[in-house]
Amino acid sequence: MPDAAQPGLTLPATVARRRRGLRGSQLRHRVAVIFCQAALLAALLAAWEYATANKALNAFLFGSPSEIWGFLVKMWSDGSLMKDSGVTGLETLLGFLLGNVIGTVLGLALWYSRFVSRVVQPFIVALGSIPIVALAPIVIIWFGTGLASKVAMSTLSVIVVALVIAYKGATGVDDDQINLMRTLGASKWQIFRKLVIPSSLGDIFAGLKLTVGFALIGAIIGEFMSSSEGLGHAIFKAGSLYIIPKVFAALVATIALALFLSFLVGKLERFLMPWRKPD
Amino acid sequence: MSAVPAKSPVAEALPPPLVVSGVGKSYGEDEGEPNEVIGDISFSLASGEIVSLVGPSGCGKTTLLNLLSGLTPPTRGSVLWHGRPLRGVPKGVGYMLQKDLLLPWRTTLRNVTLGLELTALSQGEREKKAHSILNKVGLGSFHDYYPSALSGGMRQRAALARTLVTEPEVILLDEPFAALDFQTKLILESDMAKLVRSEGRSVLMITHDVEEAVSLSDRVIVLTHRPSRIKAIHEIHLDADRGDMMAVRDSPHFTGYVREIWSQLDVRMGNR
Repeated sequence: MPDAAQPGLTLPATVARRRRGLRGSQLRHRVAVIFCQAALLAALLAAWEYATANKALNAFLFGSPSEIWGFLVKMWSDGSLMKDSGVTGLETLLGFLLGNVIGTVLGLALWYSRFVSRVVQPFIVALGSIPIVALAPIVIIWFGTGLASKVAMSTLSVIVVALVIAYKGATGVDDDQINLMRTLGASKWQIFRKLVIPSSLGDIFAGLKLTVGFALIGAIIGEFMSSSEGLGHAIFKAGSLYIIPKVFAALVATIALALFLSFLVGKLERFLMPWRKPD
Repeated sequence: MSAVPAKSPVAEALPPPLVVSGVGKSYGEDEGEPNEVIGDISFSLASGEIVSLVGPSGCGKTTLLNLLSGLTPPTRGSVLWHGRPLRGVPKGVGYMLQKDLLLPWRTTLRNVTLGLELTALSQGEREKKAHSILNKVGLGSFHDYYPSALSGGMRQRAALARTLVTEPEVILLDEPFAALDFQTKLILESDMAKLVRSEGRSVLMITHDVEEAVSLSDRVIVLTHRPSRIKAIHEIHLDADRGDMMAVRDSPHFTGYVREIWSQLDVRMGNR
């Protein structure tokens, strides 16, 4: 909420309304979009349920929405749903934070020296092209089978993307803007702090939204390789035992986790960049 | 408002703030086929004087401005600020472009204080100065707005406030009003003229708008096509309040100056 972040800010009514982006027609449009999304999901689930009930789809291989729901309820009541989600959520969050902090700091710092950025460019490209799955065995050997290896996997999935995006944001600053800062007498560090970092925030947040998914993938891969808990572990175990509905139930929990983390990033973005109009 | 004096009487004895002698700029000299943008330009800017450079489009006006503000070094010749050769970006120079270059994450007030944050002033003093200059440019009640909520004219006013708040002796302007509609432009030009003339600041403006140049300036320098040289210099004497762009346009000699400069601009229609 841009307005709430600025107490005492009095905007003309038209501006305030435009900022909140909720004029009548827009509101109706948004409701229509949500309604169609819900309808699409319901139709898909109904077709799936119908097909498995009539043996058009093999319920053993494909599960059915009602069985998946049953497993979700069971996992909820025995506490494993929250526990596994919590474990994977923690791994993802730590990897997401670590990867983004390291990647963003390095990416922004590369703005400082064109020479250093030229030197390291091929190395970054090389690191970025390594499939993270291929690193999993080494990571398990180095970091063990506990939390650390999952966080490491998650961090590795995030770091290069965050670095490249932050660097792109930092080097995308308008030259005229930099010249203006120079004529105001700003040092390179002041230009970096007062212009480059805030200018890059938009790109950095785009990167955060993107890397939420990557962090989760890293954590799940880590759990696949070796683990005793977490959603990835639940999926792997249920899959090995051919309990397909349980695989889907854990997948639903994974998707919910991803949506929840994306939601948090969106909140943070609106809090840190109040000058931005919401999309 | 009474007529603003054309020149402030201060600092007659000091060397002129800006002296440009024999300045030229070529790109790609190392590759053997130099692209000469600026041929040979010499002029000086006196204290409290407003000088405009006009030229046909593509005559390297912006390159010239970058040379004067120390952002790029000249290939030949010298630029003296207060009698001293230019090294890097000089102090006491304001810089305003057609783009307002306001930082979208800062409110109007904080955009204006930007230049002061790089000085030793305390936050209280900075904001006091910024509020005072915002009042002068007519944005007093908009200090809490983000640039995205301001109109084009208001944004350019905020940019003007940011330029003036550091109290630069010399202000370099690169087509600052070119993106504005005619009415907004006249009002903003008038306000700027009153402010800089009352405070005795020197202004060097680069523009392609001959009427703007004549109405604002004490002197208009006409440049040639690339590589640009000085074609003519006109002292502008208009019998009107130099802070009122409408009155200036009504004064008897205005049209004569504009016609003469236009004819010297050598505007080539069609193939260039």
